[in-house]
Amino acid sequence: MIETANINIDDAMLVERCRRGDSAAMEQLIVKYQNRIYNVILKICANADDAAELTQETFVKILENIGNFQGRSAFYTWAFRIAVNLTLNYCKRSAKLGFRSLDIADDGEIGQAKQRLKEFLRAENSPDPAMVAQNKELCEIVVKTLMKLDDAQRVVIILRDIEGMDYAQIAEVLELELGTVKSRLSRARSNLREILEMVLK
Amino acid sequence: MKDNPNIDELLNGFIDGELSARQVTEIQRLLSHDMEVIERLRELQKCKMLVSSLPSAEAPSGLLDQVGISLERRTLLGHEQEYFESQQGAKHLLFRRVVSAAAMIALVAVLGIVIYSILAPEPFTEKPIAVEDLTQPAVVEVQQQTPAPAIITAGLFNGRLELKTTDPVAVDAFINRVIRDNGLSGRIAVINHAEKGSYDLRCSRQDISSLLADLKSVWPKIESATLFIETEQPDTLVVVNRVDTEQIAQIFGQDSLEKSIEVAKDFAVLNNMTDFVPGKEVYAAIDGNKTDLITIPKPVLTSGEKETKKPSAPDEEKASLTIVIVDSE
Repeated sequence: MIETANINIDDAMLVERCRRGDSAAMEQLIVKYQNRIYNVILKICANADDAAELTQETFVKILENIGNFQGRSAFYTWAFRIAVNLTLNYCKRSAKLGFRSLDIADDGEIGQAKQRLKEFLRAENSPDPAMVAQNKELCEIVVKTLMKLDDAQRVVIILRDIEGMDYAQIAEVLELELGTVKSRLSRARSNLREILEMVLK
Repeated sequence: MKDNPNIDELLNGFIDGELSARQVTEIQRLLSHDMEVIERLRELQKCKMLVSSLPSAEAPSGLLDQVGISLERRTLLGHEQEYFESQQGAKHLLFRRVVSAAAMIALVAVLGIVIYSILAPEPFTEKPIAVEDLTQPAVVEVQQQTPAPAIITAGLFNGRLELKTTDPVAVDAFINRVIRDNGLSGRIAVINHAEKGSYDLRCSRQDISSLLADLKSVWPKIESATLFIETEQPDTLVVVNRVDTEQIAQIFGQDSLEKSIEVAKDFAVLNNMTDFVPGKEVYAAIDGNKTDLITIPKPVLTSGEKETKKPSAPDEEKASLTIVIVDSE
């Protein structure tokens, strides 16, 4: 909590300096948030090049509109709102054009990854999550499974489990009621589990 | 677990640390004895764990520069756009001002014309009464005509009476006799031209009035009679169409040339109006008494012999009347 407060104070100072045209403050803001925003965008759209472009577009919009930032919400949630909205718009366009390929190949390495994932899900004890992070194929399965969720559910899971936002922040970013966030997250995890089971069959 | 439809939400809240103390206690109580809840919690935890354990990606190294370049480009474009828009706005504003000014000028001009047409003074020249004659061109008012054969000395009352008839011989004989009976034979300048009868009388107005009174009986044989009267303006005549003897006598009976001309003008208007009044009774329509207009004394025969009237003395000549008989056939 203390850390969050410090971040907010820093953000407020940086935002104020950016408003006065301080380019150093702009750079600090970009450096501070670029990885987190890029990571969230990448997990939502699942394309590195598009994620890079969307991240750049997000920061351009942030800096162009920082004069209009009222401070009613935290800069952090405001910035992520811009990023998520841009990315969701991109996803809608991509879905219309049919750009995404969500098929999970069933070659040797993927097959092994699937087997490990099945064991992970059936294990009664709490397995080491690092096992997932260290396996590229396993990550690919999880990412593609995430992509099979609809956009709204995927965003809620990513903001919660990847960015680590609490429910209130998610509600602020997505401009939703807190109850909606809870129910949507619940459905998202439930659906993710079902999709994984289907993928692993 | 089946009793609580929101158990997934509660379990997710429990995993995420978003439950109140009371809800946490409730979940812990369920977990202590409900294996289904325990299993569901484990599934949800593993889902969360899978997603959370995805490796974090780092932004491309050139992102900062790209953002800077993008911002500079947009700023330049924005300034150009603003400049373009401001120029466009100025042009549009100027155009609107010019159009507004032109519209105002046009409006003022139109208003000026309207106001002038209302308030402008009438021209000084007084025009004669005009009556629209749809059948015949301009016979009502003063006209310029080719000079008639009988142009008589200026300052006198000069008139010309054209009588169209189908029986010119009888009319001519009658007029000749009336002239003789009125003792005006000596006042005739020209008698009987080759093709038509023409009598150029120079005598007093009273003599002409008497003569015309006597001509009344031949008037039924006259198809149309037109009186031309010279005015003080050169080559300008008053034309009285369909004139009768009473009107002529009244015109000649005035004591001045100006009055005679005015009366002639009135009769000209009156006679032309007659064509547009049912029954052609304009006198009645105007005054209700046709005979009031004419007060010419009639000659009276007192014996079988006609009385030869004594003409006025030559020095009393104040009028000149040319009577022309025209064969209408």
